[in-house]
Amino acid sequence: MVCSSAFTTLGRAQASAFGHANLPIGVVPHPFGLRTRDGIRELAEWFVDDVARLACRSGSEEPSAISSGSLPSQRAALLEMAGDLDAFNSLFRERRWSDGLPMVPPTIERVDRMLRYTRRAREEVVGLIAPGFGAATVERIAINGVLAGCDPDYMPVLIAAAEAISTPRFNLQGIQATTNPVAVWLIINGPIAKQLGINGSYNCLGQGTWANATLGRAVRLMLQNIGGALPGEMDRSTHGQPAKYTFCCAENEEANPWEPLHVERGFARGQSTVTVVGISGTVNMNTHAKDAGDLLKIVADTLMQPASNDYWVGGEPWIVFPPEHAEILKRDGLSKADVKRRIWEQAKMVAGRMAAKDLARTAKARRAELGEIGPDTLLPPSTLPEDIGILIAGGPGTHCVCIPSYGNMMRSVTREIISVT
Amino acid sequence: MARIEQVFDPTAPCENQPRELRRVLDSLSGKVVGFIDNTKPNFNYLVDDLADLLVSKYGVRSVVKRSKRVSSIPAPDALIKELSEECDLVITGSGD
Repeated sequence: MVCSSAFTTLGRAQASAFGHANLPIGVVPHPFGLRTRDGIRELAEWFVDDVARLACRSGSEEPSAISSGSLPSQRAALLEMAGDLDAFNSLFRERRWSDGLPMVPPTIERVDRMLRYTRRAREEVVGLIAPGFGAATVERIAINGVLAGCDPDYMPVLIAAAEAISTPRFNLQGIQATTNPVAVWLIINGPIAKQLGINGSYNCLGQGTWANATLGRAVRLMLQNIGGALPGEMDRSTHGQPAKYTFCCAENEEANPWEPLHVERGFARGQSTVTVVGISGTVNMNTHAKDAGDLLKIVADTLMQPASNDYWVGGEPWIVFPPEHAEILKRDGLSKADVKRRIWEQAKMVAGRMAAKDLARTAKARRAELGEIGPDTLLPPSTLPEDIGILIAGGPGTHCVCIPSYGNMMRSVTREIISVT
Repeated sequence: MARIEQVFDPTAPCENQPRELRRVLDSLSGKVVGFIDNTKPNFNYLVDDLADLLVSKYGVRSVVKRSKRVSSIPAPDALIKELSEECDLVITGSGD
C-alpha cells in the first residue's frame, strides 16, 4: 500500500484491523495531491526503489504464524480503581475512552440496570463497528450508554442504533475514517420517542434534552471505543463538527401532515424505529416563503453547493421542515414524494460550478449514472428523487434546515427498536 | 482508605483474525503488477509513472491498472477477484 506521510497511521491501523499487520507500506511525502505533474514524476523515480524493496522483502520479516484463530472474549474486562469520580475521569481521559467530556462510571450495577431493558444475551454480538471491527456486544453497548449518561430504558434504542450503523449500506468504514466532518444523526420515530422524552420540537437539534443529548453521545462513544475511531488515528476528519459529540432528535409526528419517516419506510405507525444518517453539517434556511414554489426554490438553491459530497457522487441530502413549512407544502397540494421530486428537479446544479479537479472526480464517479459529464451537465443532488430525505421536526418558526449528507454511497438505515414490555 | 470500585473497559478488540500470509516475491522480474487507483488526486499519475519504471527498471512483465469509483467505498469484489487471479503483486493507495 502507498500512504502519504500524514496518513501512515491510518494505513497501518487499517491494515492491522483487516488482519494484515505486516502489510508493506510505502510512504510518500504529504501533501501528495498538491504536487505538480513533474513533481509526481520526480517522486516516482526514487519511490519505485522503495516499492521494489517492499515487494521483495525477505520472508523473515513476515509474521511467523497465524494466531490460533480463537476469537477475542466477548465479555468486557473489569478494572479496579479508586472509587471517586475524579480518579475515574482521569483514568478514562488518559486512555482516550472519553469524547472529551466527563463521564459516568460504568459500574457493574449501572450496566446491569441497562441490561434489564433487553432480552438479548449480554455476550451477543449486535454488529461489528468499523474501522477497528470491535464487536458491539449487548454488554459493550450498555457500558457506553452508561458512560454517556443514558437512562437504563434507553437501551433498546442503542441496540437498534448499533444494528443500523453496522449495516454495510451505511458505509461506516468510510464515515469513520474519512477526512470529511461526518457525524451520525439518529432520528427516532414511533411511540418510544414520547415514552423516553426525545425531543422533536423546539431546539430538537440543539441542547437541553437529556435523551437527545445522551443517546447521540452514546453512539459516538460506541463509534470511538468499540469501533476504534480515535481522532488523528483512524478518525481522520480534518475538522470534525460539533454534531460529532451528539446528534439525535425525534420526528415531530403530531405536526407532520404526511406519513412519518418510519411509515414511509414500511413500518407500522405503532412501531418505533431509529434511522441513522451520515451527515456533513447543518445549514439554517431562514425563509418566510408563503407558497410551495417560493419555499422549494430556496431549498433547492441552498442545496446547490459546488463542494458538496451529494453532488460529487450522488448522495442523500436531507431537509428538515418545521411544521409551518410542512403545512404550506401540504396546503399547496404536495405529497412528500412530490416535494422530493420538486427539490430534485430544481436542485440540479451546473457541473461547471465545481473546481476543475472536483469536476473530473465527479465525471468519473457519476459516469455510470449520468453518462459523459462536462461543465454544462446538470447534476442532481442524489441519484433518485426518493433518495432525498424529508423530516418534519422543530417548533413554531419559519426556519428549515438543509443537512447535506456524507455522500460516498452512505445510505441511511432504519431499524426497529424492540422494547421489553 | 479509599474505596475500590470496579468499572468496565468500554473498548473492544478487533474481531478480524490475521489473514493468510502474503506471497513473498524473490524479484519483480517477469511478474504481473496490479494497481488499484483510489481516485485521490495525482494517484493516477503515480500509477502511470511507477508502472513505466517497474517495467523498464525492474523487468516487470505487465501491469494491470484498475480504479475505484470513489476513494471512500471499497473496490468491488469482481475487481479484487480479477486482480488476485492475474497479478503477483497489487498496490493501492490511502490518504491525500
